[in-house]
Amino acid sequence: MGTRAAKVLYYAEMTTTLLLVEDDTRIRSALRLALADEGYRVTEAATGEQALELIADGTSLPDVVLLDLMLPGIDGLEVCSRIREHGDLPIIMVTARTQSHEVIAGLEAGADDYVTKPVDAGELAARIRALLRRVRGSGGQDLAIEVGDLTVLPGESRVLRAGAEVPLTKTEFRLLYTLAVADGAVVTREQLLERVWDYDYFGDTRLLDVHIRRLRRKVERDPGQPELVVTVRGVGYRVGGSARP
Amino acid sequence: MMSRFPLRARVMAWFSLVSLIVSGALAFATWQLATGYMIDQRERSAVAQAAGNARLVEAALRNDSPALRELLTGLAAGTESAVLLVDDGDWISGGTLVDPRRLPSAFLDMVQRGEFARQRTVLDGVPVLAVGLPVRGQAATYVEVSPMRELDRTFRFLSWTLVLGTLASGLAGALLGRWAAQHALRPLRRFTDTAAKAAGGDLGARLPTTRDPDLESLATAFNDTTERLQHRVARDIRFAGDVSHELRSPLTTMLNAMSVLQRRSADLPAETRQAIELLATDLRRFRRMVDDLLEMSRGDQDTDRSTFELVDLAGLVRAVADQHACASADTLQLTAHPWVLADRRRLERAVTNLLDNATRHGQGLVRLAVLHGADHARIEVDDAGPGVAADDRQHVFERFARGSPAERDPADGGVGLGLALVAEHVRHHDGRAWVEDRPGGGARFVIELPEVTP
Repeated sequence: MGTRAAKVLYYAEMTTTLLLVEDDTRIRSALRLALADEGYRVTEAATGEQALELIADGTSLPDVVLLDLMLPGIDGLEVCSRIREHGDLPIIMVTARTQSHEVIAGLEAGADDYVTKPVDAGELAARIRALLRRVRGSGGQDLAIEVGDLTVLPGESRVLRAGAEVPLTKTEFRLLYTLAVADGAVVTREQLLERVWDYDYFGDTRLLDVHIRRLRRKVERDPGQPELVVTVRGVGYRVGGSARP
Repeated sequence: MMSRFPLRARVMAWFSLVSLIVSGALAFATWQLATGYMIDQRERSAVAQAAGNARLVEAALRNDSPALRELLTGLAAGTESAVLLVDDGDWISGGTLVDPRRLPSAFLDMVQRGEFARQRTVLDGVPVLAVGLPVRGQAATYVEVSPMRELDRTFRFLSWTLVLGTLASGLAGALLGRWAAQHALRPLRRFTDTAAKAAGGDLGARLPTTRDPDLESLATAFNDTTERLQHRVARDIRFAGDVSHELRSPLTTMLNAMSVLQRRSADLPAETRQAIELLATDLRRFRRMVDDLLEMSRGDQDTDRSTFELVDLAGLVRAVADQHACASADTLQLTAHPWVLADRRRLERAVTNLLDNATRHGQGLVRLAVLHGADHARIEVDDAGPGVAADDRQHVFERFARGSPAERDPADGGVGLGLALVAEHVRHHDGRAWVEDRPGGGARFVIELPEVTP
């Protein structure tokens, strides 16, 4: 109980703002109440249009978007892609669907993580905390790491190629950084799920697979023939090329 | 009434019998024709030879040659025959082979009357042919008795050949019958296999379409039945899935409203607090049930294997055990390290559910082991409970298979889907799950998965 209270306090200080996009009024209200108890400030949106307006407005950008995929009007996938077009705002999708292709579609659209209904505020808070840890600095070293022709800057959470920034989301950056720190050694799938998403042994491998795909699309010259993020079949991944700290 | 013998044996017997009768009849006819012809030929030549010899004897008699006896002896030696001459009722014999009085009396009568006669008989175990010819112009009859050893040997050989041939044909008939039965029963065997598969739960099993008019209606009827059954099962499952799906939204509201209430329960009167606790407990159970049902309906629909990966089974079991209260280090036996292709999350769920089951119904876990089987990887979960009665062993893996509601412990959180999910997830991995007796008492739940080499 003590640690929980401390965490609540810690995040309350940072006044993390959540944008809760959910069309069901009752769920929205209950989640708002419970998330407020967890120490978050909650902004609500009942439709995708509303959510996009709030974000475009730009006056009070949320720290994390909680996005229901089933929305009237513009659906959640569309909202997700549009938010991604404008930046790397962390998104957790809240889905009632668990079919593989639906989860994958949501992740492909740019979500950083997902939870399935029924979900309670405690579980959501755990996912939010893990996500914010990746957003708020990688901690540890600030030295640049070179992966092939990429320069990974942990301090700024940025990746450069020949001086130009490669736009990555925080999760994609964290994934690349985790692999880069291993310096060419293999990082297992379980380790990646744990270090990037804070999942235990049983994280959803689809989460990892889709993010690896997304990362490769952004950093590889030929995503079909990856040279920087290399698969080690049956084990995990490692950075290719010459990774030098 | 059903015959006591299987169809295959009956077909074999009939083929064999028919074949025996046909080949037996043929053999009999062959025997009749061949023996008749050969005896006829032999008799003809014997008569011709005797007629020639009789003319010599006639000449000798006419000249009243004193050398008659020598002639007879000579003839007897030349033809390997016994030669006799009846002259006025006296027997003059050339060669000592045959005592004339041992020839059949009917033959002797005819000879003595001076008529042509021939007779087959057996003397001292030797088949012989006796030919009697009246000697022209003399009151005498010439008799020649020639043995038929050669012919007898031929007959014996022929008879053996025919008997063996008949038997061989009967045997061949039986083999043909067996082949025919097997051939004719092949579609039936396929039918049996398919029906067994369908009975085993694979309602997707279908008989191949056939143009054979004898089988078509059966195949069509079977396929229609399983198809209807499959649809019905799918509809039921979809319904359960839809219901659980619809429950997600209110459940999300309830769970979150409840957490708000619980957080403030310290400020509430004792009765209210108690009521909230009751609600919270049942809400947790409710949630678990909906989760399980959703998992179940997803398992039924989700057939894709894109989430499958190479998994070190011992590592997975260890990870599950680490999270589970009931598994201590001394219950773990992870000596083998088989690899399997698996959806880690589902397999984790299956093992977790078995551990839950051991805790709830098995009075605690005794042993959790990972082993190599014959090309299968095995997980064994042993408990200290009373075991599962043989009649219930299939039943426990069915959905909502548990005691009556009165026996349920509301605090245990079980909703009766745990083992059904185990079966479901293991089937998804092309594996098997079952329960048996643990040596020394208690139940042993076993999961068997196809092992792969990484």
